Amino acid sequence: MSIACKRGPAQIEANLTPMIDVTFLLIVFFVLVSQIVELENVDLQLPAPTDPMSELAGDEQRVVVNVVPRPGGDILEYRLGGQSYAADRHGIAAMTARLASMYRNNPGLSVNLRADASTHYRWVEPVMQAVSTAALQSGREMAAARVNLVVVRED
Amino acid sequence: MPSDPSSAPNQPQPTFAAGETLIEHTRLRQRRGRDRPRIGLNLVAMIDVVFLLLMYFLTVTDFKLGEEIYRLDLPQRQPGAQVLDPFELDEEPLRITVRSSQIGDDGYSIELSGPYRPPATFEDLFHFLDERRISAHAPGGLFASDHPIIVEPMRTTRWEHAMEAFNAAARARYTNLTFAKPR
Repeated sequence: MSIACKRGPAQIEANLTPMIDVTFLLIVFFVLVSQIVELENVDLQLPAPTDPMSELAGDEQRVVVNVVPRPGGDILEYRLGGQSYAADRHGIAAMTARLASMYRNNPGLSVNLRADASTHYRWVEPVMQAVSTAALQSGREMAAARVNLVVVRED
Repeated sequence: MPSDPSSAPNQPQPTFAAGETLIEHTRLRQRRGRDRPRIGLNLVAMIDVVFLLLMYFLTVTDFKLGEEIYRLDLPQRQPGAQVLDPFELDEEPLRITVRSSQIGDDGYSIELSGPYRPPATFEDLFHFLDERRISAHAPGGLFASDHPIIVEPMRTTRWEHAMEAFNAAARARYTNLTFAKPR
């Protein structure tokens, strides 16, 4: 009789510890990522044009400017990368300065503009002006001053 | 010695150890199978974790429709920043004025610069622009594809209406589109 028979049947078990480790790492990762996405994209009802000629965003580096709405077409504030800016002259100037700083660090940066469908145009246009001014302040090639207008495709 | 009735003559016989027949071999294999340790994997913990993950993702996932973008080149706002060609003829831009009704969400009106009848809807605006674009099919059109078109929303125009006007021009394949300052 062999020695293996004396020991009895072999017990083979899966070591679950690494799997649980990996699972918790994944949970932590997704929790962090989801928070970043929420900071970047405020929950808005974006315009949904009829038969839109829009395109999917590429993989280029970009920042998102959210125009946070208030009922009646007015806005609460502007939000750029999780930081809030007041909807007045000082807030827009601060946002412009930050955009210029971002342009200096990364001249190829794209700016996505997200505004609610019901927001009045007088609150949206300053963002375009801020992007244009920031591009000038940063010494960036003006021909490349561009903003991406974000819409939603419903079809 | 009686021959095995199941074995046909001239058939190749399976090879066994010395003195082993087919029946003995099968019994031996069955006995070994009973004695062999059973290999099992405890899947309960894994299924628990998988369901936890599934519930987590179902909870946190926000089913959003696909977001897309329009790329808009911004005009140069600083005086003197633009280098103009002195020999270039001025091209009068087509201005599209968009107003939103203050009563209800859907009301709007569109006006065009020049002697054109105002389109009633954004679909009419698209047809107007499309029919007047110079192309191989319409060489007698009024506007080239790069003719400057300026969308002029009012201060209280809803962003969705401004975007509808912009989209109508983009659908008509005009490439030189900008937004004006609010009036």
